[in-house]
Formats: sequence, C-alpha cells, structure tokens
Amino acid sequence: MSSMLFVFSRPPHGSINAQEGLDALLMGSAFTACSVLFVGDGVLQLVTGQSTDALGTKNFSLSFGALKDYGVTRIACSMPDLLARGLHKSDFLIEVEPLDAAGMQALIRHHDKVLNF
Amino acid sequence: MNFAIVVHGGPYSSQACLSALKFAKAVLASGHSINRVFFYHDGVYTANSLIAPPQDEAPVSRQWQEFGTGNKIELIACIASCLRRGILDETEAGRYEKSGSNIAPGFTISGLGQLIDASINADRVVTFGV
Amino acid sequence: MILHTINKVAGLALCQHLIAADDKVVLLEDGVYLGLQPLAFSICAIRLDVEARGLVGRLKEPVELIDYSDFVSLCTEADKICSWF
Repeated sequence: MSSMLFVFSRPPHGSINAQEGLDALLMGSAFTACSVLFVGDGVLQLVTGQSTDALGTKNFSLSFGALKDYGVTRIACSMPDLLARGLHKSDFLIEVEPLDAAGMQALIRHHDKVLNF
Repeated sequence: MNFAIVVHGGPYSSQACLSALKFAKAVLASGHSINRVFFYHDGVYTANSLIAPPQDEAPVSRQWQEFGTGNKIELIACIASCLRRGILDETEAGRYEKSGSNIAPGFTISGLGQLIDASINADRVVTFGV
Repeated sequence: MILHTINKVAGLALCQHLIAADDKVVLLEDGVYLGLQPLAFSICAIRLDVEARGLVGRLKEPVELIDYSDFVSLCTEADKICSWF
C-alpha cells in the first residue's frame, strides 16, 4: 500500500485551501500510512490562539489535535520557514517535528506519493 | 504507466484546468493510462454545465467533457467542494431542495476517498494547483 | 529523482529547500517567469506557457523549453512529482 505525504503550504482562513487540505489528510489516513509536512505560510495553520467565532469561518485548527488519533505517522514542518516567521515550535497547537532541508528531502523520498495543498 | 491527475483550479480564474487537460491528452498520446481525474477545491467549477463562454474563448469545461467521455476516463468532482460551490447532480439537488442540478455530462460527483484511492493505485500522481 | 513543478513565482520559495541535487524542475503557467532570473539549478519550462507570455528568447540560460509530451516523460522517469503553487 502506497504511503502518502501531504504538504500544506497555505495560511489558514484567507482561503479554504488549508481546510480542504486537512480534509484530504484525514480521509487519506483512513486508507493508508500518511504523514504531513507544513511549509511556507502553511506553518501558520498550526499557531495557537486562532479564534474565528467573530469572523464566522470554521476554526479547523481544532482538528489538528486529532491527527495522532487518525494515525498520521509523522507531523513535520520546515524549520527554515518557521524561523523566517519568528516562530518556535512552542507556538504550535500540537507537537510538530521541525526539519532542516535534508530532513525534509528525506521525508519526501520516504513516501510513495505526495499531495500538495 | 498509470497516472492520477488532480485539478485544483476552475476555468478562467486559473490556468490549472487547462494545463491539466493538455497534460492528460499528452499522457494518453504517450501510450500511458489515466485511472481518474479528481477535481478538488475550485477545480469543481470545471464540472459546471451552465458555463457559457464567449465563442472566441476556449470552452475548457466542454473540452474536459469530451476528453472524459471520448476516452472513457472517470472525471470525479469532490462532493464537499461541489456542495460548497453550488455544483449539484440531481440527487444532491433533491437532498438539499435546490432549484436544479448543473453537473456537466461526463463528470461524476463523489467523495474524497476517490482522490486517495486514485493516488494509492496510480504509478504517478500529478497535481495542478492554484 | 523527484520532479518538482512550479506554477507561480512565489512557488520557488516553498520548495527551494526541498530540491535535492538530482531532482528536476518544470516551470509552467506563471512559473515560467522564474526563467527571467538566474537560478541555481537547471530547469525546464513548458514551451506553450513561455510562448504565450512573450518570453521566447528572454529566458536566462540554461532554461530548456519542453512540450507536454516531454513533461509526461519526466514524470515517468521521476519517482514522484511534487507540485508547488
């Protein structure tokens, strides 16, 4: 069975891309071994303190807490993109593994298929 | 080799569905096969049968219909993306009590599982994003 | 070998750390504008997109212009495809 890597590169709320990407990851993890890599502004999906009640959009960041329960194998992010935004992994809602360039390249190599969102 | 193709962009707001169509035609012309084309995000607008473009502009949606029907290739529009964007077949129009359905011939509305299934079973997955 | 596709200029920032030495890159759609700047790696660009934007003869060396059939061949040679958009 193919393993799949989901790569998220969009910030949350400005468009529905991030939310629909997460939907795909949750579906994928029901079928096969899946991991997720947050790159670029995608790392901003993970920050704590998102409050969308007044805006009226869905606060899908609450679903990230379920990734482990869904069996998502590795939850990783780009360390350079994290640092470039002045963030630290302690800013995140969940435990995330920051990876350097070599670590991210290895993560891509070790999965059979990559889906970008 | 067997390809799965994923399309995130609809006609006119992006080039993605046009690029994906040219790629899909080249896949078949090269002697390879396509197990499914999955339209996600705004890509589902490609499946809107009510699109009526000016005559001097490429009818991308109709070209996709002809490609899918002519080559017997599954064109799947994600149901969640479709419902959010008002692309409905008769079943969904009935379920949500809407005035009509507008899914174009050749397209089928189905679940996100079809994306995962196509990706797992294809030799290569290519996404055309926006 | 992993094939990376980039369809807009901003896509390069997403994948610049992810392109390994033996990987290949295809520029398509607005991504072909990246061919106007010096790049650190060899790169292919979809000819139709380059022609549509008036960029024939304006791209930096060594951008190689390819057709969709070449793009398909690159996909078959690659282990997998990553799309940056």
